[in-house]
Amino acid sequence: MTLLNLTRAAAPARLEARFLILSGLVVLLLLLPVLQVLSDGHNYVLHVLMVIFMYVALASGWNIIGGYAGYTSLGHPVFFALGAYFSGVLLVYKGWSPFWTAPLAGLLATIFGFAFGLITLRTRGPAFVISTIALLLLARLVLDNWEWVGGSNGLSLPMIGWPYRFYKIPFYYGMLLTALAAVWVSYRIRHSKLGLFLRAIAMDEIKAEVAGIDTRMCKVIAFAISAFFAGVCGALWGYHQTYLRPTIFLTIGAAADLVLINLVGGRGTVAGPVLGAALRVGLDELVVNQIGSTELNITVTGILMILIVLFFPGGIIGALRERGRLPRLLDWD
Amino acid sequence: MTTGLQTLILGLALGGVYALMAIGLSLTYGVMRILNLAHAAFMVLGAYLAYWALQIFHIDPLLSVLINGPLFFILGVSLYRLLFVPLAGRPRYTEATLLLSFGLALGVEGLMGTWWTGIYRAANPVYATRSISFGPFYIPEGQLYATVISVGMLLVLWAFLQNTRIGRAIRATMQNRTAAQIVGVNVEGISALAFGLGMASAGISGSLLSFLFPFFPGKHWQWISSLLSLVVLGGMGSLIGTVVGALLLSVASVWVSSILGPTWSPVTFYAALFMVMMIRPQGLFGKKEA
Repeated sequence: MTLLNLTRAAAPARLEARFLILSGLVVLLLLLPVLQVLSDGHNYVLHVLMVIFMYVALASGWNIIGGYAGYTSLGHPVFFALGAYFSGVLLVYKGWSPFWTAPLAGLLATIFGFAFGLITLRTRGPAFVISTIALLLLARLVLDNWEWVGGSNGLSLPMIGWPYRFYKIPFYYGMLLTALAAVWVSYRIRHSKLGLFLRAIAMDEIKAEVAGIDTRMCKVIAFAISAFFAGVCGALWGYHQTYLRPTIFLTIGAAADLVLINLVGGRGTVAGPVLGAALRVGLDELVVNQIGSTELNITVTGILMILIVLFFPGGIIGALRERGRLPRLLDWD
Repeated sequence: MTTGLQTLILGLALGGVYALMAIGLSLTYGVMRILNLAHAAFMVLGAYLAYWALQIFHIDPLLSVLINGPLFFILGVSLYRLLFVPLAGRPRYTEATLLLSFGLALGVEGLMGTWWTGIYRAANPVYATRSISFGPFYIPEGQLYATVISVGMLLVLWAFLQNTRIGRAIRATMQNRTAAQIVGVNVEGISALAFGLGMASAGISGSLLSFLFPFFPGKHWQWISSLLSLVVLGGMGSLIGTVVGALLLSVASVWVSSILGPTWSPVTFYAALFMVMMIRPQGLFGKKEA
């Protein structure tokens, strides 16, 4: 009895410590733009963090279908582009700010993802990934030839009307909120019945089906939710870039990024995509921008992917957990 | 009527090549449940080698088939032993191999881009621009040769699968891997062989690709999605289905291309893919999943 009371008392306290550290970090990130207000010269920091937030949101979203359910999607750039073009067109033709239309862009991506999932997630197994590659190439073909949204030349968007010193700040907050929402949703799904069903599907779909799980609906819902964050990020990123071009969004390389981030961090874990995104952007800033981007980038991405699949299939989180070295701070599952 | 027949001729002439391109994908999926996303990347690599052979050594692409075939066979067996064998017995094997082959495709694409840069290339042997006409119809000479070689290769493969012991072992493994193992088939050896054969088909069709279509390193994504679409249409793991799917879609894509222009001909493949997934997810010749 005393033992039980002791564990009861101890568990929340340890949880508290982790909770305090993480919320402290979030508060810190929320306050960071104050630096830029006080004195100029922190735009670079804000920019790098903003890109990290974007990848956190994208990769956490991808993880819901690609990690929890184990269905690799190479079609997420399509939802990103959908969001970017939706909000971009509304900005150009109606003058509506993407900060207001971004949630709508996410919703549109969700609806589109739901419809697409209904068609392509009927079957088990690898036919799905084929359909996502086809979707990506089809979207590219359509956007390249659709003159109303600029065709292959793309669409220029008006700049946000903020002074240069402050113009990163709204994007910073937009991406930060999206990333927090994505991680929160990912966490909630991981600890819900849906999350359990999805993991059952990833382990053995036939058994999951036999156990009475509506596997098709679970997969479709997971895919639709994961599309939401890609749509929102697309809307914000397009506005930040001030031009939309099919070649930026709709490449297999962009899809490969999301796969690699999840593989590095740990697919199917809540913290994996966050860790992976931070590493991806950090390394990009440190290494790639020094050497310059070349075709070799693609090769390195490919080789990394092969090595991780062969030697660290669980990514960083999985490898640490296997050895019992995963700090509680990062154990969000 | 004449234009319809002409479309049919051009479509069938490409269909044989598509079938050869896709048969390797179908074979590796059928035998090992490996969906090789790098298949088309190796095809484009084969095209670059054939292009090189023509430019530097003046070896005709039709002859470089004889080089690419064995070369890619050896490459395939080695890659299988090096990369895919360690994954055997893993839970979620198909998924792991899918990611592995995705990485492989990116790796090959990047290397090709580094070596040959991203510009469009095409081998141009003398017959690439000529065409043969008979009555009101014509057929490009290059397509004719490519089709003859493709059909020849497919017949050899078919005879091999039907009439030899190893061929029977391959078909048995495709039908039921465990049962084949129980009756004494060396499943690991068969798998390596099948992967090698699949890669050889990629190399050979790469030689043909080099003078039929312009290519650049990133082009293989379009190829892989077209080829996988026709494999899904035929039914994944069915070799007959793959050939029928190839013929159907090549005729359809030539027809679409004659109406909407060549830009939109890949759409035929994607549209067919989505339609099959809606109406008959197991494909034309596929067995319904258990």
